[in-house]
Amino acid sequence: MRVLMVEDEPRLAENVARSLRESAGYAVDIAADGQEGLFLVESNAYDVVLLDLMLPKLDGMELLRRIRKSGQHTPVLVLTARDDKESVVALLNAGADDYLTKPFDLGELLARAKALIRRGKGQPSPVLTIGDLELNTVNRTVQRGGRAITLTAMEYRVLEYLAHRPRAVVSKTELLEHLYDYNWEKFSNVIEVYISGLRRKLEEGSSRQLIRTLRGQGYMLQD
Amino acid sequence: MRRDSIQRRLIVTVALSQAILTAGLVITGVVVTYSRLLSTLDTGMQAHAMSVAALVRYTEEGTGNVYFDNSLLPESIDPNHPDQFMVWADRTGLLTHSEDWPDGLQFQPGPSQHWNFSWAGVPYHALRMQHVPILDREEGKLFRPQTLTIVYASPTVRIRQQVKLAGALIALASLLLLGATTWLASWRIRRGLWPLQALARQAALISTQSWRLQVPKETEEIQELRPLTESMTQMLARLERAFAEQREFLANAAHELKTPVAVLKSTLQSLLQRSRSSEEYRAGLQASLQDMDRLEQLLQRMLQLARAEQWADTSRRDLGMVDINSSCEAAVERIRGLAEARGTEIHLATDGPIPIRADGEDLQLVWTNLLENAVRYSPEGGSVEVAVSHDDRRTWVSFQDHGAGISAADLPHVFERFYRGDPSRTRTTGGFGLGLAIAKALVEAYGGSITATSAPGEGTRMTVELPGPGQ
Repeated sequence: MRVLMVEDEPRLAENVARSLRESAGYAVDIAADGQEGLFLVESNAYDVVLLDLMLPKLDGMELLRRIRKSGQHTPVLVLTARDDKESVVALLNAGADDYLTKPFDLGELLARAKALIRRGKGQPSPVLTIGDLELNTVNRTVQRGGRAITLTAMEYRVLEYLAHRPRAVVSKTELLEHLYDYNWEKFSNVIEVYISGLRRKLEEGSSRQLIRTLRGQGYMLQD
Repeated sequence: MRRDSIQRRLIVTVALSQAILTAGLVITGVVVTYSRLLSTLDTGMQAHAMSVAALVRYTEEGTGNVYFDNSLLPESIDPNHPDQFMVWADRTGLLTHSEDWPDGLQFQPGPSQHWNFSWAGVPYHALRMQHVPILDREEGKLFRPQTLTIVYASPTVRIRQQVKLAGALIALASLLLLGATTWLASWRIRRGLWPLQALARQAALISTQSWRLQVPKETEEIQELRPLTESMTQMLARLERAFAEQREFLANAAHELKTPVAVLKSTLQSLLQRSRSSEEYRAGLQASLQDMDRLEQLLQRMLQLARAEQWADTSRRDLGMVDINSSCEAAVERIRGLAEARGTEIHLATDGPIPIRADGEDLQLVWTNLLENAVRYSPEGGSVEVAVSHDDRRTWVSFQDHGAGISAADLPHVFERFYRGDPSRTRTTGGFGLGLAIAKALVEAYGGSITATSAPGEGTRMTVELPGPGQ
C-alpha cells in the first residue's frame, strides 16, 4: 500500500512515515506543502492520503476540495488541530473520509488508515478471504487451508495488495506504484521475484494455482 | 424595570388631547348657546315689558295719577311657566304686580338691569326697565306726567333644557370623534411600528453562523429607521470581523500548540514501537527535548501576548521612569548573539536620555521582538539600523532592515497574531508570528503606535511612536 502524508512539520511527517513503514509495511511519500501534495496526488496512485489542514502555499481544506473536484476517490484522513463540531462538519462535507485530532495516537492513525484503505477497495472486513486463503491485515498473518504461511515483508505487501482486489487483473506498474514511494521505477524487476516467491510458498502441496499470470497484462489472485 | 410602550404613549397622548378638545368644545358650546338664548329671551322680555307698560293709564281727573288696566295682559313667553312682573309709578310707588307674584319677593329700584334669581325651585331671569314713559296722554293744569319702573322676570327652565340638550349633543359627537380618532391613531401607530417589528424579526435571525442583516423593504422605506439600521449593519460588520479574528486566532493557536505536542507524542510512540539501538533512543530523546523547548517558547510567547493585550485595557500605576536610549542599548546587547551568528551588524543611533513612564521589561520585549525580527529577515552579513529621536511630546524608535521586504498584500497583516506571510519560510526562520503582535499590544498599552513601511527588495522599517519624554 502507498500512502501520501501532506504535513508541513517535517518531524511529525517523518515520525508518521517511519511508523507506517515499520508497522504496516506501507510506502510513504511526504509533501511539505499543499501545492506539492496536490501535484503528488494528481501524478500518483495512493491508497490513502493523510492530510494536515494548515499548510503553506495551499490550504489543506482547499487541497481536499481540489482532490474531490478532480474526481479522485482516494480515501483522505485529515489531521486537524480543531475538533469543534463546526470544523469537523466542514471537513466531512469537503470530502474527507475521516479525521484525527492532534495530538493523535500513532496506533489509532494506523488502524484508521488501514480501515480507510479496506473500505476504499470495497473490503469491509480486516480479514481478507479468497477461497481457502486467509489474510489478516491487523496482525499481518497469512493462512492457507488452516496452515500458517510465513512471508517476507515485501511478499506480504504484494499479496496484501492483490488480496484487496481479488479476481481483478493488477498490472505490474500498478503493483509498483502502490508498493513503493516515488522511486518505484528503480524496482521494476523485483515484482517477478516476489510473485515467484509467493507462488512457491502459497501453492506448496496444492494442485490449484492461486496467482495467475496474464502475459502482458499482469497478475490476478483467484480462488 | 418599568416597561413603557411607544404605542401606548402615543395613543394616550392622542386620546388626552382629544379629550381636552372635547371638554373645550362642550364648554364653549354651552356658554355660547346659553348666552344666545338668553339674549333672545331678553329681547322677548323687553317687548313684553313694553306691552305691560302700555297697560298703564292716567286717571281721568288729570292729576297725573295712574292705574293699571289688567284686562289685556300679554301671554307668557314660556306657556308652561308664567312670567312675573312688577310695575312702579315713580311718584306714587308700587302700582301693580303679576297675579302670582311671590309674596315677600321685593326688588328695590336699583342699578342692575339684568339678573338671575331662583324662586320656589324655578330659575328666573329678570330685567329692570327704568324711566319708561306712559303711553297714555292727558292734558290739564294739575297734570304732572310720570315715568314707570318695570321689573319683568321670565323662567329660564326652557333655556336651561335647551342648553343641556345642546351640550349633550356636542359631547356625544365629540366622544364619537374621540373614539374614532383614538382607534384610528392606534391602528396607524401599530401599522407604523410594523417595520420595527419586521426589523426585529430579521435581527433575531442573526447568529454567529450568519451575520447578514436582511433589512426588510418596509423598514428601509422609513426614513426615521435609517440611522438605526445603518448603525446595526455597521455594528454587525464590526462584530463579525472581531468574531472571525477570534476564531482564526483560536484555530491558529490550536494548530500551533497541538502540532509540537503531536510531534513529541509521535516521536515517543515511534521510539516505543519496537526495540531500538541506544543511538536511536538518544536521537529520539534529543529531538523530543528540542520539541519541548519550542513548545515552551510558544507558551511563553502566548502568555506575553495575553498579558500585553490585557494591559491595553487597564491603566497601570506601578510604572517608574525608564530611559529609552539605555533600554534600546540593552535590547541590542540581548540580540547581539543572534546577530553575530548571522553576521548581521546592528547600528544604534541614540538621542540623549529620554525618560518615559513605563515598565522596563515591557520596553525590552518590544525592542527585542522588533530587533529579532529585523535580524532574522536580514540577509547574512547585512545590517540593521536602530534610530531613536524625540520632540517635546513624542519619541520615535525605528528599526530598519535590508531584507527582502514585505509585499503590499502582507503589510497590513503583519501585526496580526500568528500571521506569517509565508509559513514555510518561518519554519526555517523559527518564529511563531507572535512577536509583532506582542510588540503592538504593548506599545498600544502605553498609548503609542507602531507602523510598518516596506519596499520589496530593499527592506522594512518598523517605527514605534511613544508619548513622552517625561510622560
